[in-house]
Amino acid sequence: MTRFLAKRIGQAIVVIFFVTVIVFLLLHSVPGGPAHGILGPKASPQAIAEFNREHGFDKSLFQQYWAYLSELFHGDLGESYTLNQSVASLIGQRIPKTLVLTGLSTLVALLVAIPLGVWQARRRKGLADYAVTTLVFVGYATPVFFLALILVIVFTQKTQLLPPQAPQTQSIAGLFADSRALILPVLAGAIATVAAFSRYMRSAVLDNLAEDYVRTARAKGASERRVVWLHIMRNSLTPIIAMLGYYLPVLFSGALVIESVFNYPGMGLLFWNAAQTSDYPILLGAVLVIALATVIGSLLADVLQALVDPRVRGAIR
Amino acid sequence: MKRPLTLAVIGAAVTLLAAGCSSGDQGSDAKGGTAQQGGSVTFAMPPNATPNWIFPIGTPGHLASFNGSIRQEVFLPLYTYDGTSGTVALDEKAGVAKPPVYSNGGKTVDIKLNDLTWASGQKVTSRDVEFWFNLVKANKAQWGNYNAGDLPDNVAKFDTVSDTEFKLELTKAYNPDWFTANQLTYVTPIPQAVWDVQSAGGKAGDYDRTTDGAKKVFKYLTGEAGKLSEYASNPLWKAADGPFTVKEFTTTGQVTLAKNPKYTGPDTAHLDSVTFKPFTSSDAELNVVRSGGVDYGYLPALAVSQSKSIENAGYQVKPWNGWAITYIPYNFNNPAMGAVFKQLYVRQAVQMSIDQSTISRVLWHDEAAPGYGPVPQQPVSKYLSPTQQTNPYPFDLNKAKALLTSHGWTIANGVASCAQAGSGATQCGAGIKAGTRLKFTIDSQSGSTETDNMMQEVQSSLSKIGIGLSIKAEPLNSVLDHTAQCKPSQSSCSWQLSFFGTAGSWYFPAYPSGEQIFSSTGGTNLGSYVDPAVDDLIKKSTSSTDPAALQDYDAYVTKSLPVIWMPNPAYQVSAIKKNLRGVIQDPLANIQPQRWYLAK
Repeated sequence: MTRFLAKRIGQAIVVIFFVTVIVFLLLHSVPGGPAHGILGPKASPQAIAEFNREHGFDKSLFQQYWAYLSELFHGDLGESYTLNQSVASLIGQRIPKTLVLTGLSTLVALLVAIPLGVWQARRRKGLADYAVTTLVFVGYATPVFFLALILVIVFTQKTQLLPPQAPQTQSIAGLFADSRALILPVLAGAIATVAAFSRYMRSAVLDNLAEDYVRTARAKGASERRVVWLHIMRNSLTPIIAMLGYYLPVLFSGALVIESVFNYPGMGLLFWNAAQTSDYPILLGAVLVIALATVIGSLLADVLQALVDPRVRGAIR
Repeated sequence: MKRPLTLAVIGAAVTLLAAGCSSGDQGSDAKGGTAQQGGSVTFAMPPNATPNWIFPIGTPGHLASFNGSIRQEVFLPLYTYDGTSGTVALDEKAGVAKPPVYSNGGKTVDIKLNDLTWASGQKVTSRDVEFWFNLVKANKAQWGNYNAGDLPDNVAKFDTVSDTEFKLELTKAYNPDWFTANQLTYVTPIPQAVWDVQSAGGKAGDYDRTTDGAKKVFKYLTGEAGKLSEYASNPLWKAADGPFTVKEFTTTGQVTLAKNPKYTGPDTAHLDSVTFKPFTSSDAELNVVRSGGVDYGYLPALAVSQSKSIENAGYQVKPWNGWAITYIPYNFNNPAMGAVFKQLYVRQAVQMSIDQSTISRVLWHDEAAPGYGPVPQQPVSKYLSPTQQTNPYPFDLNKAKALLTSHGWTIANGVASCAQAGSGATQCGAGIKAGTRLKFTIDSQSGSTETDNMMQEVQSSLSKIGIGLSIKAEPLNSVLDHTAQCKPSQSSCSWQLSFFGTAGSWYFPAYPSGEQIFSSTGGTNLGSYVDPAVDDLIKKSTSSTDPAALQDYDAYVTKSLPVIWMPNPAYQVSAIKKNLRGVIQDPLANIQPQRWYLAK
């Protein structure tokens, strides 16, 4: 296990390095640089020249990348061109808020999806299974912006039960203090995720129901509840755990549409707006964070699967 | 001109008011209801607008209009122009000085300051204005508004007459309208006694009077200005002379201004506080408007059809027209089409193919207004020539087509090609080879349904006169990157037409001269348009004291079509709570919250 972890961490460092190189090269291959995007159409040639000098765009690509890498090794992600703050502080502000939103959405989705998947599998090919499958597919196929809009119209305008925007506070405690305002964004994020996880859970339970150990347990007189929740559940969770690991970058990269509709500035919007304005330091910083989350997520998925499933444990020794 | 020129601008404004010129763009009823003293108002900022600068010398990247709007409530500029009088004119109450007096043929400006006080209790003096000049002179490369030859280069000498009076000796004669409106409006007195320091906790001195000292002071002040989270607590920014002070300034973009109890001018705020609220998108903002969560918000263009339901929720819905023009520049140096664009008859044919009225009414839901020339058409101003007002090139596809066919073009398969090469009266024109086909490409700003539809309408219209148009939609900054001034031999010269005007292509300062966009040396003359007659008219409009100079320029440029004139979209469609009064929607996109009040 230790050798496996060391090897994977080494691979992760190499992957992240290549990600920074590729993203840096892609960004800097855009002709003209970000000066016009940042300074707008009224920028004078002098202002553009000064901007390029100040941010090192008058140097060679290799020098620029080397400067970026040197700063990175000193823990400096650079300064945003447009937001007048360091990228580290921006990401530091946005990530906790994003994790609250995506984390709660995922948690709600799991709490609904896992029992729902089991329930459907046990009633497979029944009317209830078909009805829930239809609903789940509708939820999965509905664009998030449309879903969010419907939630806003129904719960904030028609019935006025909930506020139309997410909590407008900067602190995490403030977010939970205004928990009513979290309901709609969390719900909008959870609905599509429920669909994905419940389908995985349903098919995993179906696979396990046909296994010999289930028949053995039943033959020994174990109750159906015990068979399902003790024997089948643990083995059926393997694909869900794997999926959760690979889902980690999604948690960190934010939920652009939900953030946009519910006035909740998180990582998704930070990245999107930076792309619109060519704010390179933010783009590079965000990509770096998401790349880190991706490699850590896939590593976590493997380790957790190994802990749950002895067959996987044997394979990675 | 030997006699002093006084109050040119004020005089013009009075004349216009007497003539009944009005923007037709007032906000809420200026004088309605019983004014309630105090109260708080929430103002919705444009999507993703994040205020990030309060220091009155803006560095590149910190020049957004909302920064200016917030800053000039705290630190009063020397002069402010706005639309509160019904047209764009000097607003004496919102500035620090009395109207300037020009003498010496427009080469000397005499300025007297009003009786105003900093929060420290010290008077605002000529020294505070000199301090601004010294900092800008020594650090002009870092000043975002700097244009070579303009301020501070055009001020040869700053001459202090007394604590409340100073004179500027200019390097040459300037048009007083232009100099006051487009140069002196940048000047903001700053508290020398508090800010003339080189480090935190340092003792204030006269450091700004040496170049090296001014650089150190500027470096320190811009460093402090970079710390957004300290704006509400840093004593530097407490030294206000305006009607408001900073109460809250968050890194996520929410700003709250509180009434300044130490303000001694004539423009005291009615409200206790104004909160500038950031929004992630116009949809998010609309949701909050629908639930009554902001006092002064806006509607996305696509939601304008829902005005009735917004009005039923307690708002007035009013367009806020900007002091701007919208246009599509031609790249006259494009190797493939430059020679075609240089033919006036081609440009006339293109202009006559743009159905501006229909585009404004249908595609922009009446939230854009046709524009026929280089001067903003709303509100009506003394700068607008009759030529522009009467539209010399009305929409007429038959005439447009005839212009092409009478100049040697034949149309086959929907695209015109040059059959008569040469520069005669019935030939295609100089530099156009036989067989050249009229096929243009436009780089157009993406992200707006109205713009997308408008481009398709233009494409359809042009196809009817034999011009093929390919539309390449890109994000705004990509369009701006690709729309560079260039020489025909450069690879960057491949662009032909460009549209970046979803929110208006060019917002003018108060005096709408065209030196930056239409003079041959203009830094934003993107299409490299060259016409010595235009250069001469622009020079006159900025340097001569002839009040008709700008109208002459306007009339000529309207007809010579350096660009395709397009409908100008409103700055925004506002939703203003019915009990919020005193709001005038300023065409220069600034706000005057000190004059807002809540009606009982």
